[in-house]
Amino acid sequence: MPPPAAAPPRPARQIRGPQSALTDFLASQGINANQIRQDADARRAAARASMQTAGGDDDAPSPEAEPEAAPARKETKAQAAKRKKEEEKAIAKIKASKQFQRRRKQYGSDDDVTDEDDAARAIFEESMAPLPGQMENCEICEKRFSVTAYSRTGPGGGLLCPKCSKDLDKEEGSAKKKRKIAAGKARRQLQSNLLDGIYPGAKDLMTLCIETLAKNVHNADSLGDISDELVDKIAAILSKKRLMTPETLYLFLRPGSQTVTVYDAAKLSSDDFIRIFQIVPTVKHLRLRDAIQFKNKVMDHLLGTTVELETLSLHGSNLIDDERWNRYLTEKGSHLRALKVYHTDGHFGDEQLEMVAKHCPNLQRLKVCHNQKVTVDGIEHISKMEGLSHLSLELYKQMDGFVGTVNCASMIGSIGPPLRTLSLATIHYLTDGVLEAIHENCQNLSKLRLTDNSFFTDAGFAKLFTGWLNPPLVFLDLHKCRHIDAAEPRENPNKIGLGSAGFEALMAHSGSALKYLNVHSCRHISREAFEKVFAKDKTYPEMQEMNISFCQSVNDFVVGSIFRSCPNLKTLKVFGNFGVRDVGVPKGKILIGVPNALGMQIEGTEEDEGRVI
Amino acid sequence: MASSSQKQGSSKYVTLISSDGFEFVVLREAACISKAIKKMLAGSFLESKRGDRCHFEEINGIVLEKVAEYFCYNYKNRNREDVPDMDIPPELCLELLMAADYLDSECKKKSYISLNYC
Repeated sequence: MPPPAAAPPRPARQIRGPQSALTDFLASQGINANQIRQDADARRAAARASMQTAGGDDDAPSPEAEPEAAPARKETKAQAAKRKKEEEKAIAKIKASKQFQRRRKQYGSDDDVTDEDDAARAIFEESMAPLPGQMENCEICEKRFSVTAYSRTGPGGGLLCPKCSKDLDKEEGSAKKKRKIAAGKARRQLQSNLLDGIYPGAKDLMTLCIETLAKNVHNADSLGDISDELVDKIAAILSKKRLMTPETLYLFLRPGSQTVTVYDAAKLSSDDFIRIFQIVPTVKHLRLRDAIQFKNKVMDHLLGTTVELETLSLHGSNLIDDERWNRYLTEKGSHLRALKVYHTDGHFGDEQLEMVAKHCPNLQRLKVCHNQKVTVDGIEHISKMEGLSHLSLELYKQMDGFVGTVNCASMIGSIGPPLRTLSLATIHYLTDGVLEAIHENCQNLSKLRLTDNSFFTDAGFAKLFTGWLNPPLVFLDLHKCRHIDAAEPRENPNKIGLGSAGFEALMAHSGSALKYLNVHSCRHISREAFEKVFAKDKTYPEMQEMNISFCQSVNDFVVGSIFRSCPNLKTLKVFGNFGVRDVGVPKGKILIGVPNALGMQIEGTEEDEGRVI
Repeated sequence: MASSSQKQGSSKYVTLISSDGFEFVVLREAACISKAIKKMLAGSFLESKRGDRCHFEEINGIVLEKVAEYFCYNYKNRNREDVPDMDIPPELCLELLMAADYLDSECKKKSYISLNYC
């Protein structure tokens, strides 16, 4: 209990804020409403016997103060006993309160308050502390100050003046802030891991080793004799941490090796790329991402060497002009089995595809991604590449829908039968004709991707998957196949996009083998369709990853049904599905994108309790 | 460390023996997160008949100790999330990496991923 301090000489009175003349006068007489209420509280709880007045006159303490304080000191034994009893009662009540339990948890780690009684008393005294707007003596420096809502309590439970609080804040501040930052960081890391599909908990030993290696990569001279698969994993993690520099590149250039993969070549210069061919002349499979500096100079060097690449995958190499591409394809195209070009901006168009068709007889894989130059004519050239088993196109050039569909359908007609994977992403203008062509010509597909389109119809999808001779697909991505109309966003009179009928047909056809399904933004799949597909008696044993984000009809029940029907599901994405509120996630599975701050809630099992992540 | 349990059949513990003769006794359940050890103990290999003793001719004592430590660490934290990373000395990193690859502590391969990037 803080001792009642003698009233120090009061400084010249100042009027602060909107205060009536009466309040002002009463204050000058040492009377104020807060004080009165508090006195009453104090008396009721018999906590503080003597309450000093909020302020006296300049020199002498006010006459009212004396008699109020006096009886407290002179209280009889019976009164004292009563007061003590009531105080204990109040403390017991605090101990039982929720606030106290919460406080205990907070302080538990700090070792600030070890004794339960002390803790309860601290809260009790705090509740007795002066309310905002009145004067109080600082606990540390004993100076008089006016209490505000922001005044903080000192170590003994009394209030502190602004200056002392500031000092205390400085002392505690850094530690407290650090702890807060660390907690935030840990939470973000956990969410980041979830997005990467890593289940929270102990990491596997290999990941731990690779991460340690990545931290100490500057001390490493060589990776020694480890398998290509591990080297690839290390390269991937180093790139993710953006540690792939000209110095670290050498770790991955192993003479005699057939594969060179750099997942992030953004920091490498043209000379570094040339060095790849000098150090590893045996390279057959070259994959470079963000290889912006892989330009004409490097191409010229490559053309001058005896390197015979079977796989060339270049991402972001937009400084190689069409002439170099032509030369490369004419001179070295005959060895190529896989050609992948991403993000080439103004280069690599129809002419180059014609060269590919002419000079690359062994080509099995072709991927042209994020391309702005290839037109309908290019698609026609692709139809001459009869050896292809994997085709992936992502074209951004606007063109006529009718011609595009006709060309695409005829291309699928001529090269469709041997295709094992087909990906036509972001070709907005294609119509149902393409779906029909796939239905009729493709019978060996395991992966199909048709995305970002607003012309395919629900009936077209249903027809594609009904009675299709193709075996069940393993990978299917139909995201963003939906109707868009800004004026009437909910109406879909022509049944554009993947809807209920198409979804049911595709699950009936491919459900038994499907491992990956992406139908995000297919807004017109109804709740009934989801409930029918994931009914109690249906199981999809192969399903591992599913994305049903932005399908408006998805709710807790649908998500629960999916977990029931797909026993091997690892990851389910439900971004933007506001019907998903608090669904229990079975242990070992990851639910991403629940639209609340809580995140996913793992259900309890017999052995351990459920938790919230 | 105590010598391995002598009785035949499946005891609660298994013994891991390094190339230079060090023995580490760990909980069977903890060690079985390694697919290789699980197969060694389950199949008709010599190990399953010889009282749960696994010989590793290619892993030395220092590395195997770290492996055993990892098994305990993983077992202890099996029901927790925010787990602090285990400390791995950088000089052991590569050897341990190869041991981990061999033991395949936890197989997280996803076959469709390769399809994904085709």
